[in-house]
Amino acid sequence: MGKDLVIKTLRHETVEQVPWVPFAGVHAGKLKGYTAEEVLTDGDKLFESLMEVHRLYVPDGMTTMFDLQVEAEILGCDLLWAKDNPPSVKSHPLANEKIIPCRCEIPDENSGRLPMILEVMNRIHREIGEDVALYGLICGPFTLASHLRGTGIFMDMISDPDYVTNLIEFCGEVACKMAEMYIDAGMEVIAVVDPLVSQISPKHIDKLLAPSFTNVFEFIRSKGAYSNFFVCGNATKQIESMCKMSPDGVSVDENVDMVKAKKITDQYNIAIGGNIPLTTTMLYGTQQDNMKGVIDLLDSMDHKNLIISPGCDMPYDTPIENTIAAAQAVKTPEAVREMIKNYESVSFADIEIEIPEYDKMDKVLIEIFTLDPDQCAACTYMVNVVSDNYEAIKDISEYRVYKYNIKKDIARTMKMGLTNLPTMCVDGEQKWISLIPSKEELIEVITQAYKKKTNK
Amino acid sequence: MSKELILEKAKTSILEADEDLALEALKEAEDTGVNLLELLSDGFSAGMKELGDLFGSGEVFLPELMFSTEVMKVATAEIEGKMDVKDVKPKGVMVIGTVEGDVHDIGKGIVASLIKTNGVTVHDLGREVPAKVFVEKVKEFNADFLGSSALLTTTMTEQKKIEELLAKEGLKGKVKTLVGGAPVTKRWADRIGADAYCEDASEAVNTLLGWIGNL
Repeated sequence: MGKDLVIKTLRHETVEQVPWVPFAGVHAGKLKGYTAEEVLTDGDKLFESLMEVHRLYVPDGMTTMFDLQVEAEILGCDLLWAKDNPPSVKSHPLANEKIIPCRCEIPDENSGRLPMILEVMNRIHREIGEDVALYGLICGPFTLASHLRGTGIFMDMISDPDYVTNLIEFCGEVACKMAEMYIDAGMEVIAVVDPLVSQISPKHIDKLLAPSFTNVFEFIRSKGAYSNFFVCGNATKQIESMCKMSPDGVSVDENVDMVKAKKITDQYNIAIGGNIPLTTTMLYGTQQDNMKGVIDLLDSMDHKNLIISPGCDMPYDTPIENTIAAAQAVKTPEAVREMIKNYESVSFADIEIEIPEYDKMDKVLIEIFTLDPDQCAACTYMVNVVSDNYEAIKDISEYRVYKYNIKKDIARTMKMGLTNLPTMCVDGEQKWISLIPSKEELIEVITQAYKKKTNK
Repeated sequence: MSKELILEKAKTSILEADEDLALEALKEAEDTGVNLLELLSDGFSAGMKELGDLFGSGEVFLPELMFSTEVMKVATAEIEGKMDVKDVKPKGVMVIGTVEGDVHDIGKGIVASLIKTNGVTVHDLGREVPAKVFVEKVKEFNADFLGSSALLTTTMTEQKKIEELLAKEGLKGKVKTLVGGAPVTKRWADRIGADAYCEDASEAVNTLLGWIGNL
């Protein structure tokens, strides 16, 4: 079971396969056509989107709500909402007032968006909690302190370190309360996400941050859950300080050389996750770039204490097929190695491929180009939607399935000019790339194609 | 005290973010007749340059950089107050801002401060700045340089809009553009036709100084 891979890795046990944990935050919404704001404010839409992440990306572990502004919003920060990004903090309530907020402001189950978030967590836990390690994300105490105080926090660190210590202590208490609520709602891993940690010196981390952070990780452990410390940016110099706080795992983005970082985390017997590049590979790369990126990661490190993930929250518009390719590479590295080899090979030009003369065929031809219909979940769904509903369209269509691990099929995929898989073509025209049509949609498109053909 | 020692003290005051030491260096410079412009460029600014490089290489971190920048601002204001403003010729004019839809401005603020301390007049347009405002301000201030920061993959596209507007207004080539921000890369800069991608404040300063040197 995929979940065991994550839990065992966070327990530092040896596992038979490296776990895959895609961070589909706002990107989850893209899978169902919802905006970032919709998935972060509407429980039903968030739930539906998360179920789609589970279906398409076959995760061993997955994040439920990736929004570091939940706590800040409750504590009085104004947010700037966007269609395709998590909101950003626009105002800082402590910017002009150097005080510690009242403990009475620490969030509870009824604060801000928490009723919706907790309800979704409970639902998703009931649906897939047996199979997938569910991650509840909380804002790290330092980033929360900066949300409240603004950039002044950086000056305070030098001019008034006691104030910073007290503010971070307060934010640490907020973090513990958030962790407690999320654990009670079925989250088994609490990710303490603190992107700003990469911006300060290890000395400052050890002195000002370590006591509160260590408390948070200990608290999570005492509640029977696992902790993961997410950081963004070039945190190479901070990794060791992060390890000293004793989280069960850390997670880094592409700014960190993961091979070097793992040498440090291994010394502390802490798991490390990462770090498929978000923009160059996931957002703007090809399927092959994503496969290669994952294989390179797997080949460059010892697999104990290792989790493969995107560098951070995936961009909203990450092509679905790129994430499918990354998932495929983690799940079936050997098969994907072959696919990469095939892709890089030029010998396919010699294989003779005949492209059907669609116009002359009596029936509509459905061609499904897959990575591997047995291993890739999205490919399986795409094939199944046709085979399961074929009875309804068999008189007007026929279908063929191609696999990217058979030489002739690879040549055909190339000749058709397809770069993303799975793709379904109808009479030679690309109709669905990675997205799986509903039964109704499929029948409608095939019927229309048949009418077009027979009207000629 | 020799001029070299005073300049060294000014530099140290920045590296150690020591405002008292900065004012002490200034007083000693005045007492011994050291040219204040020289004190600014070879003392304080040299310290900022070294600090920026240390920041770029990960030896110095954000709080220290911000604190030293404040000391630099005090030193610069003191010197300017003691001199005829006409004596200080800016090395160039820059407009800078965070693009529309983006409120992240810590990095942009650091870049603006650091560039300012290197003798360039900087007009910081703030955050959520529409592309057309960038271009209007370039015209208004007759700017030599335009810096834009984008921290989100979705707001990066605003930097492309800026380039397109500059081209439309016939300003391409007349104003040099620098792009930065977490998701921004050199590849992106090349793709949209920006003149430079700068990973951090120190690289931005070095890029500008390189251009100024070639003017």
